[in-house]
Amino acid sequence: MTQGIERVVVPLDAATETSTAIDTAARLAALWRVPLHGVFIEDEELIGLAGLPFARQVTLGTGLEPLTKDHVEDQLHAFAERARRELGAVANRHDVKWSFEVARGPLAPDTLGGEHDFVVAGAATRPIGDHFRVSSRCWSWIAIIARPFLLARREWETGGSVVTLLRRGGPQSARTLDVAAQIAGFYSGTLTVAGTPDLAGSDDFAAWVSGLLEGHSVSLQTEFAAAEPAALRQRIIELDCRLLVLEASEKDAQPEELRELVEHLACDVLIIR
Amino acid sequence: MAATGHSITYRELGAGGAGLPATEPGRPLPPALLYRACDPAELPFELVGELEDPPGPIGQDRAVEAVEFAVAMRRKGYNVYALGAGGTGKHTVIRDLLNRRAESVPTPPDWCYVNNFADPQKPRRLQLPPGRGNGLREAMKRLVEELRAALPAAFERDDYRARRDVIDQQFKEQNEQAFGELQRRGEQKGISMLRTPMGLALAPRRDGKVLTPEMFEALPEAERERIQRDLEEVQGELETVMQKVPQWEREHREAVRELNRNTTGAAIGLMMDELRAGSCELPDVVQHLDAVEQDIKDNADDFLTPAQPPQGMPIPSPVEESMTEARFRRYQVNVIVDNGDQHGAPVIYEDNPTHQTLVGRVEYMARFGTLATDFNLLTPGALHRANGGYLMLDAQRLLAGNFGWASLKRSLNADEIRIETLDQLLSLASTVSLQPEPIPLDVKIVLLGPPMLYYLLSSADDDFKELFKIAADFDDRVERTPETTLLYARFIAGVVRREKLLPFDRSAVARTIEEAARFVGDADRLSAGLREIVDLLQEADQLAAGAGKATVTAAEVQKAIDAKFRRGDRIYRRLQEEIGRKTIRIETDGEQIGQVNGLSVMTLGGLSFGNPSRITARIRLGRGEVVDIEREVELGGPLHSKGVLILSGFLGGRFGSTRPLSLNASLVFEQSYGGVDGDSASAAELFALLSALADVPINQSFAVTGSVDQHGRIQAIGGVNEKIEGFFDACRITGFTGRQGVIIPASNVKHLMLRQDVVTAAAEERFRIFPIETVDQGLALLTSLPAGEPDQDGNYPAGTINHRIAARLDAFAAKAAELARNAAITQAHS
Repeated sequence: MTQGIERVVVPLDAATETSTAIDTAARLAALWRVPLHGVFIEDEELIGLAGLPFARQVTLGTGLEPLTKDHVEDQLHAFAERARRELGAVANRHDVKWSFEVARGPLAPDTLGGEHDFVVAGAATRPIGDHFRVSSRCWSWIAIIARPFLLARREWETGGSVVTLLRRGGPQSARTLDVAAQIAGFYSGTLTVAGTPDLAGSDDFAAWVSGLLEGHSVSLQTEFAAAEPAALRQRIIELDCRLLVLEASEKDAQPEELRELVEHLACDVLIIR
Repeated sequence: MAATGHSITYRELGAGGAGLPATEPGRPLPPALLYRACDPAELPFELVGELEDPPGPIGQDRAVEAVEFAVAMRRKGYNVYALGAGGTGKHTVIRDLLNRRAESVPTPPDWCYVNNFADPQKPRRLQLPPGRGNGLREAMKRLVEELRAALPAAFERDDYRARRDVIDQQFKEQNEQAFGELQRRGEQKGISMLRTPMGLALAPRRDGKVLTPEMFEALPEAERERIQRDLEEVQGELETVMQKVPQWEREHREAVRELNRNTTGAAIGLMMDELRAGSCELPDVVQHLDAVEQDIKDNADDFLTPAQPPQGMPIPSPVEESMTEARFRRYQVNVIVDNGDQHGAPVIYEDNPTHQTLVGRVEYMARFGTLATDFNLLTPGALHRANGGYLMLDAQRLLAGNFGWASLKRSLNADEIRIETLDQLLSLASTVSLQPEPIPLDVKIVLLGPPMLYYLLSSADDDFKELFKIAADFDDRVERTPETTLLYARFIAGVVRREKLLPFDRSAVARTIEEAARFVGDADRLSAGLREIVDLLQEADQLAAGAGKATVTAAEVQKAIDAKFRRGDRIYRRLQEEIGRKTIRIETDGEQIGQVNGLSVMTLGGLSFGNPSRITARIRLGRGEVVDIEREVELGGPLHSKGVLILSGFLGGRFGSTRPLSLNASLVFEQSYGGVDGDSASAAELFALLSALADVPINQSFAVTGSVDQHGRIQAIGGVNEKIEGFFDACRITGFTGRQGVIIPASNVKHLMLRQDVVTAAAEERFRIFPIETVDQGLALLTSLPAGEPDQDGNYPAGTINHRIAARLDAFAAKAAELARNAAITQAHS
């Protein structure tokens, strides 16, 4: 799988907390020896809103103030520049080549690169008053971008294992497993592979998994994945999961279902399509 | 100048000098009056070590009484100025006296400086019982060390985390509930919340998309109005919620702060209670500990997180560690005065009394390119160390500069010690510095210095009179009695023991005592300049040891005396040689009109010696003026000029009442090219003048010393021993004739302690000392003619000196009158 990764791409915008995503992306890019690319997405909805005559924004510092296109443009430019500088600093720290662009408009499938790109995104918006966060747009991006998409929520130094949920057992699962094993090797080296009952229940599941992971330096364990989401979440927590790797196809695992599974977990989530 | 052993005749010791020969003016002094010996046989020991130390200082009762009074006096202003010449043992006497007194005085308290948490620029002082200062310092050090482990542990515990999580969760829920509720109401009205770069915005949606301006304009007006209305309503609510956020954040912070304070309080409470219990009888200390506890509660973070460097500044770990340690400096205790090992009151001598060494200083340390200070960098001065006791200071050094005197007075006047920089003292400070709380001062000051400085301060410095009411006047000599002689011997015994010298036998002690009389130039006194005596003892000891002797005798003492003179006599010997070579013309035989041998004393490098000078007088017709040539060329000092004016007064008084003094006379010290002062040569100058007036020669075998008053009485002078010996040595160089001698004031006889060789020569009638009381007695000796007594008409008998002087003056007067008449006639004709 990793042979096919040509870039690590980080979507950035003015609403999302991106520091963790940038750091995680830079480290993966360094480990895979591929360049890092940042895409600052200017929120077209916000720009559109600013065109309405009654548009306002409410801030903590100054209260209610007009929201004009010029204001929004200026602020987006400033944020884009800040994001560019941060990306560059982190990339340089990890000795990774990097590039940066600004995009506007609704997100298209190729806005965040091509099929050989690996996407790392921030999972939460910047809070208001240290607590309240509006919904992140990353879930809508997941629905559009049909390539590996990592939601970064935890600092790279945080300990924990990698847990993979497999459904199918075919090339998709193999690909998922390969990526999971790669990243598990970057972390602590502990990998738990949980398969759905009909997959994990087959006689050669463990051997099949082991065979696929030959050449990877990981500590492996296999088990059945709980069918009930609450039980599954509980098991994931028990495994001290640091990264949850999910295989999904374009036809299933819609963003809302994924969101329901993972939003009560604090771990990073990697969706492999 | 070899010592001649014991061939002199000793005077008997006894009260009032009983058994001494009488002094007869104009008659040579018997040898017994030339030197008052100390008879070794009368000393009650063989070796001086048999004697105990003297009970106190010798002959300083006045001074000791003054110091004891001052020390007992508890009122303000009774500090002491101990005045006296150097070497009189002032320092030792006073130090010993103070040390004895200090033993019975309570040990003073410890003093510490601690942080003033309300105003760190003004450190607070703490008074503790002696020895407890260090204990408090160590206890605070231990407290900080324990807290650095205990507080992080307290904040790591589950109960703290749980409470903290509860607080955080409460505020989170409060936030989310408010915004969430708003968000829901908005959603119900088709309005969604967007995160903008600066805050939040509300956007109308239709079919899941935010309305663009084009889409909005395409809507019916009523719909547009409704959307706008709904949006403004929700916006208003959003604004209200946003306005509450800072308040919620403040409440959150306060809740966390309160939790931290309570957690800290629980963690440190027991430790602080223990500290307070240990100092419960010291309310100031307890108050400080309360402040420490409060500060720790308010700044628990200092114990939880390492210090942060200035932004972007990489620092090495030792520096980071230093920065972390710096945060706890405010809990330290600076022990300024530690009297833990002190028994009784302190007795301190400060040998460099400047402003800073007296009142202490504020030190600074460099930190990241700037100078910083805090209460830990306050250092004590001598006043701190002596507080509650006694402080001895050298007066000359104190007044030499560096603001020591001003600071001392300020502290004594205010009864407190204020540590401040020189900048602050002089009001020059323009930067913020420390102003530590002053420490109450209770000290007795003893200044040690010369008499002149005492008199100067007494007359010119009002503060001095107020603050130093007691003068301890140390004499430079004591009366020579059998009692003081024995005390002196005991003093010598003490020095021998203390300095571990060879044993001194009684002959050595006797010789030393004689030399003590010679030091002050008085046979009836002994020097109180004990430093010179100690030097003599040490040098005699060295000579004896060098010669392999087991005991020091009079011979070694004499050798030490001779060696010291020799070390400094190069100039003296040169002068004597030049007299012998007649480069310096001193006549010690024959007669000369208007010329007499005068005597002066020169002091070079602590060595004094007599120097004969040829004094000449010339007279001529004039108006009665006596010209002092030394004064005319500014080589004569005021005292010398006074002497010349006095002899002029004598001349006028004796001869000027019945005739005008129509003469001018000039007096000079021949071959003298340095300054001359003092009136001890005024008698010699008068004799030269009278010889010139009478036209009668003076016997050059004599030298004369003495001061004369206007009535012709001869008065005492100083340095009589050196002057006699100076002429004696000159006669030896030029050749003794058996007729030579020195004429001295009769009132100086009691000062005679002449060298052995001079006394021996007098005993052998090779050299004589003649005392005189009047000018006429001197004239008779010098001219071998009677001076003459006036009759009731004021006329002197023919053949007398005075008759010849009067006749000469009459001749001058007649001549002057004749010249005046001729001049008048000439003028009249012209």
